[in-house]
Amino acid sequence: MALTSPYFWYTTRATGIVALVLFTLVVSLGTLVANRIGGTIVGRFELNELHRSVSIVAMVFLFIHILTTVADSYVSTGLISAFIPMTSSFKRMPVAIGAVGFDLLLSVWVSSLLKVRIANRSWRFIHWFGWLAFTAAIAHAFLTGTDTRSGAGLVLVGACAGVVLAAALWRYVGRPARAAGRTALSPLAAAKGGAVLEYPHSSSPAARLAPRSTVSPFPAADVSITERSPSPSPPAARASSGPFPRRPQAPSARRVRR
Amino acid sequence: MGMRRRSGGFLLRVNPILCDGFGHCHELAPELVTTDEWGYPIISPTPVPLANMSALESARYAVRGCPRQALRIERLSEPA
Amino acid sequence: MTSNTLPRLLRGAQGRPLTLAQHEETFAFAARRASMLEELDASGLRGRGGASFPTARKARLLRDQRNHSKFVVVNAMEGEPASHKDRTLLSTNPHLVLDGAEYLASIIGAKNIAVCVARDNPAVVNHVERAIHERARRSLRGPALELHTPPWRYVAGEESALVHWLDDNKSLPQYRTKRPHILKIGHSPVLVDNAETCAHVGLIGRYGADWFRGLGTDESPGSALVSVTGAVRRPTVLEVALGTPLRKVLEASGADTDPQAVLLGGYGGRWLDAAHLDAPYANEALAPQGVSIGAGIIVVLPRGACGIAESQRMVKWMANESARQCGPCAFGLPAIAEDLYQLASNSRDPRGAHQRLVERCAVIEGRGACAHPDGVVRMVRSALEVFAGDVASHLGGVPCAGSSSVQHFASVPTLERAEELVWE
Repeated sequence: MALTSPYFWYTTRATGIVALVLFTLVVSLGTLVANRIGGTIVGRFELNELHRSVSIVAMVFLFIHILTTVADSYVSTGLISAFIPMTSSFKRMPVAIGAVGFDLLLSVWVSSLLKVRIANRSWRFIHWFGWLAFTAAIAHAFLTGTDTRSGAGLVLVGACAGVVLAAALWRYVGRPARAAGRTALSPLAAAKGGAVLEYPHSSSPAARLAPRSTVSPFPAADVSITERSPSPSPPAARASSGPFPRRPQAPSARRVRR
Repeated sequence: MGMRRRSGGFLLRVNPILCDGFGHCHELAPELVTTDEWGYPIISPTPVPLANMSALESARYAVRGCPRQALRIERLSEPA
Repeated sequence: MTSNTLPRLLRGAQGRPLTLAQHEETFAFAARRASMLEELDASGLRGRGGASFPTARKARLLRDQRNHSKFVVVNAMEGEPASHKDRTLLSTNPHLVLDGAEYLASIIGAKNIAVCVARDNPAVVNHVERAIHERARRSLRGPALELHTPPWRYVAGEESALVHWLDDNKSLPQYRTKRPHILKIGHSPVLVDNAETCAHVGLIGRYGADWFRGLGTDESPGSALVSVTGAVRRPTVLEVALGTPLRKVLEASGADTDPQAVLLGGYGGRWLDAAHLDAPYANEALAPQGVSIGAGIIVVLPRGACGIAESQRMVKWMANESARQCGPCAFGLPAIAEDLYQLASNSRDPRGAHQRLVERCAVIEGRGACAHPDGVVRMVRSALEVFAGDVASHLGGVPCAGSSSVQHFASVPTLERAEELVWE
């Protein structure tokens, strides 16, 4: 039976726009968390919680967006086309891009639901798909939308894209050196004088080298083996084991093949 | 969620390899976790009694809120 | 070998490793043991890799694991730069080590033995390879012997890092929650033992627990290899009976018998003041000073040297050797190296540096996944105690007795650049 109403169409468009804006917010909050913003006025955990909560709301809007599109029989997009790309006869490519984005978001969502159970490395790997999903969402909004190609719609989509692009840049540029950095809440946060040690991975090698030892009068080249019994009997003959190679000064860092 | 035992204690344990010094645990459970000057958690080794419900709740929030899932709550059977 | 004198492990040393035939001639086969595990128990052998854990207990734990495939890993990585004993042993009597590994494999039911030698020493690798080939040619039964050569790093010799390497090609220590923790390669439990420990097992298998207990003390039976470096004629490896007075060990190795202090146990060990040098070289006798023999390492510091400066060099190197997995170690060790440097050199605020040093040691201790930071903290604390006089001079801005010496006694390898610990 045909089920259609203009309100399906209005709801699809509205929830789509709202989901896009909310996901922009989600990605921005995620970037703030990753770059360890907060600790003084706003707690870091608060930004994290906000990131999680807003993502749930955004997913709800996304579900409604998909449901109303699927339920509307005015355009022939079946439920399958929300998951599998290129199965919609209406606007095949743009809907396909939306489906790809949705699949990626589903994987992020499910992995986060199971975050406690799966290895953190796996969760982080899947979580990177969020950026990809957002790119798909922007492309989908631009290509599918009937009013996102001009006027206020274009400005909105453009703004969302701009914000996330800036977030991506800052995510890379502002990334903390191997994590940590000082937390604002540390009781020792006020720099207690002393050198701020350069983090071991810094690029200048000079600071990390131990001072070269001057030659000692005890030649360290050979390792001799002596066998001595603790009793006051005459010492056994000193057996020299011949020249042993010195430990080379620069251990190799070559890639290893097992 | 009821607990069969109200006696005994618990300890918050951090996996130092997974920990990346985000500091959320210190914000969520300040009575259990302080940070060193580099932002990594210092957890006191004395067990907390399970009867201390607010501490247990803070600990649970800390475990849930850790971005690297580096925290665990370890139940100890003998009374703290 | 019926007489109970030294040498035991280094018997027949001839400048080249003993061939299999020479090995069997030197160590005549005495009797077949009914239960090797009971023999190990009775012998009271403790590990010679640093932790001094009872070997029989470890073997029993592995024997009680139900898995089909198990591994024995012979740890000859020798991460401590001041230690030469494992290299020396493998260059003298590799077959003794392999004997012991085979005994351990028969106890726990392992079909594979992995001998791990640092690849940076091609001569030793060659010796072990040749020894393994000799055995393979002789018989096809018995556990399979494999040679593995991880790159040399300080932490690469740590048990869990070594097993991680064998499992996943990364020399990174693992976080272990409960003790005892069974390390695994894939699903196979692993027994990791130091090369010298395996050699002792080889001897106990031939001559029995009573013979083993013929030397040494009741609590620390047997003999041990000791690497002596620092103020010594040549860096030496000796075999001593446990319980020998330390001064005698120094004499026998040609070291300075009136040093300022000695470092026992390695760069993660402890300094011992010269006043205690008459103590027997055994764990139970040194325990009151908080010192243990560790991996059989003695670094001798003569009177003309500055203990704080030496310790600073060691700490700086150890900081660079951190696996950098855990924040307190990755950031804390360089920080205390810097503080120690400010204390040792002519800095503006040595008191502040000293105070920061003490605070940071307390903060770093116990918060890493492995014992690397704990060892460094232990060494630094013992240095502050033993060299308290020098510390006072430095704090007062007065150069200490040893600060004019340009010579270094603790050998610290120099690296061209800090290497990543993860190889692919």
